Amino acid sequence: MAKPSFSDEIANLLHAGHGNPLRTCIQCGTCSGTCPVVEYMDHTPRRIIGMIRANLKDEVLASNTYWYCASCYHCTVRCPAQIDIAETMYALKRYSIWKHVHQEGLVGPVFSETFVKTILRSGRSFEPILATSYLFSSGARELIQEAFMGTKMMLKGRMPVLPPRIKRLDNFKRMVSRVIPLEADS
Amino acid sequence: MKEFAYFPGCSLEKVGLSYHLSTVETTRKLGVDLKELEDWNCCGATTYFHVDELLAYTLCARNLAMAEKDNLDLVAPCSACYKNSYFTNKHLKEDPDLAEHINYALEEDNLNFSGQIEVKHLIEVFVHDVGLEEIRNNVSMPLEGLRVAPYYGCQILRPRKDHEDVEQAEFFEDLLSAIGAEPIPYPLKLKCCGGSLILSSREAALSMVRNLLQNAEDNGAEVIATACPMCQVNLECYQQQVNQEFGTRFSVPVVYFTQLMGLALGIPAKKLGIGKEIVAATPLAPYAR
Amino acid sequence: MSKGKRLLIIDDDPDFVEGILSILETAGYEVETAYNPKDGFDALESKQYDLLLLDIMMGRGAEGVMIARKMRKDPKLREMPVLIITGIREQIAYLFPGQPMHPHFVEVDELVEKPVEPDFLLERVSALIKAAEDRKAKG
Ligand code: SF4
Ligand code: SF4
Ligand code: SF4
Ligand code: SF4
Repeated sequence: MAKPSFSDEIANLLHAGHGNPLRTCIQCGTCSGTCPVVEYMDHTPRRIIGMIRANLKDEVLASNTYWYCASCYHCTVRCPAQIDIAETMYALKRYSIWKHVHQEGLVGPVFSETFVKTILRSGRSFEPILATSYLFSSGARELIQEAFMGTKMMLKGRMPVLPPRIKRLDNFKRMVSRVIPLEADS
Repeated sequence: MKEFAYFPGCSLEKVGLSYHLSTVETTRKLGVDLKELEDWNCCGATTYFHVDELLAYTLCARNLAMAEKDNLDLVAPCSACYKNSYFTNKHLKEDPDLAEHINYALEEDNLNFSGQIEVKHLIEVFVHDVGLEEIRNNVSMPLEGLRVAPYYGCQILRPRKDHEDVEQAEFFEDLLSAIGAEPIPYPLKLKCCGGSLILSSREAALSMVRNLLQNAEDNGAEVIATACPMCQVNLECYQQQVNQEFGTRFSVPVVYFTQLMGLALGIPAKKLGIGKEIVAATPLAPYAR
Repeated sequence: MSKGKRLLIIDDDPDFVEGILSILETAGYEVETAYNPKDGFDALESKQYDLLLLDIMMGRGAEGVMIARKMRKDPKLREMPVLIITGIREQIAYLFPGQPMHPHFVEVDELVEKPVEPDFLLERVSALIKAAEDRKAKG
């Protein structure tokens, strides 16, 4: 088999996906027209799809587009070619996390990391939006801290002090290690 | 009596406590028995899908398996929990290889999921299982004259589930009419609030929240009703930051649809968590007991 | 030793595959490649190989584990030696700190971490093929 191009790589990540392959995109722009975040993205969703197809790997990965995607699925339900654009954005996030190639200074990846860790530790979390105000208590995370301060104060008695835990936490952790084959150093 | 397995989700424990309280009260009043899953875990929100979908399915499947053990359909009041649980259920039913693998993980918690149950959003339970007629019959304090903007948000409708028309939904309006309120039409009712971007792009998030508030207000809303703790927090709690950023003066109460239902059903405001808002829900005062 | 031996690589990383492919081919192996778990399993089911080189993180997540578990259930495939070559720690261990777990799913398998030295790779490949043959000979 010939060496896969970048667009093949993305297709491989989406091998179990439920939409049509990206090559069926007709570049109609419906996704970009629908996207509520489009003006803040480096490249519109339509362009990102086009750029993946053109194998512009570095440009795609360096963009903020897939981290700014709010996963609202509005583009997905409207795409005339039945491409699952939101899933494609997830695939890009996965690709960039696994390979550590995302843009520097983005909050999204740091946040994912912290959120994931909380759940793994306790089986529970706070919802993503508020989790961080609790989790990031120092240093490099000022940015996030700041974004939350206002909210946190307003929420008065609505912020939990400690994350709750599930009861069968040991089972839960063993369950996780059956899908993620890593065992904690002892 | 209709019985469901209830998966409150992390948000309802504290931040969305009013949603939890009003859910418990209104379902009880309407003869729906919600049995809280005994040791539920976080569904992983959207974050797990960034990192590992198999793990995301595993987390959701654990909750599904516990509901199935009790032979009950699962109901979630949080739209994100609902969407994740709904699609995990669907994918596991459609993909035996995936189901087999996830069940291998569930073994560690002595659970197994065979795809025998359905997943519903709380609002569906009211609209379809209880039924609007039944709700109408139980209203003792119709919310006459209260102009409410129903906010669907993203994940109740999208991605497409099997049973709803994603662009033409009216069930929220119908429910509000059933309790005597006046649902107002406004174009952005299905648009994303952008709240999940508050970290990655504060600018984008605040401007999206602003657009929504503006649109609801321009169309005469006195309150916004939500069916998701995250939508509620985003629309209510960032109003002050929106005002600072854009020089606007929003002060729109954002409440849960279950709180409105509760008032109409004659349940005391306090039991519904009314009074805990950041933006005071003054328009509700005339209907409160 | 490598003469006439057929190997399959299932790995989603084109650059890594390109690297080991040339090492293995230079050593005289006949090598086929699949870049996602689905194509990979289809190949396993439809053709004969003497050894599988298997990645872990692919597609939706740790799908390499899914493949190994499916092989174990298949009386024919479970005899095939498997060399798991994973970058899992590099990929996600900052989220899940720990050592890659050796799953021991099939009769003869071994787990090594990327990157792999060419000599070490060749040595392990031939050792695993031999171990599987010896098992078979013993019956
Ligand atoms: S809506 Fe679909 S077909 Fe149109 S540009 Fe976007 S991805 Fe391509
Ligand atoms: S899913 Fe992402 S890309 Fe699509 S419309 Fe929503 S924010 Fe834009
Ligand atoms: S989506 Fe939010 S509320 Fe639901 S379980 Fe997950 S973190 Fe908790
Ligand atoms: S909180 Fe906002 S972004 Fe999230 S589902 Fe609700 S509407 Fe969409």
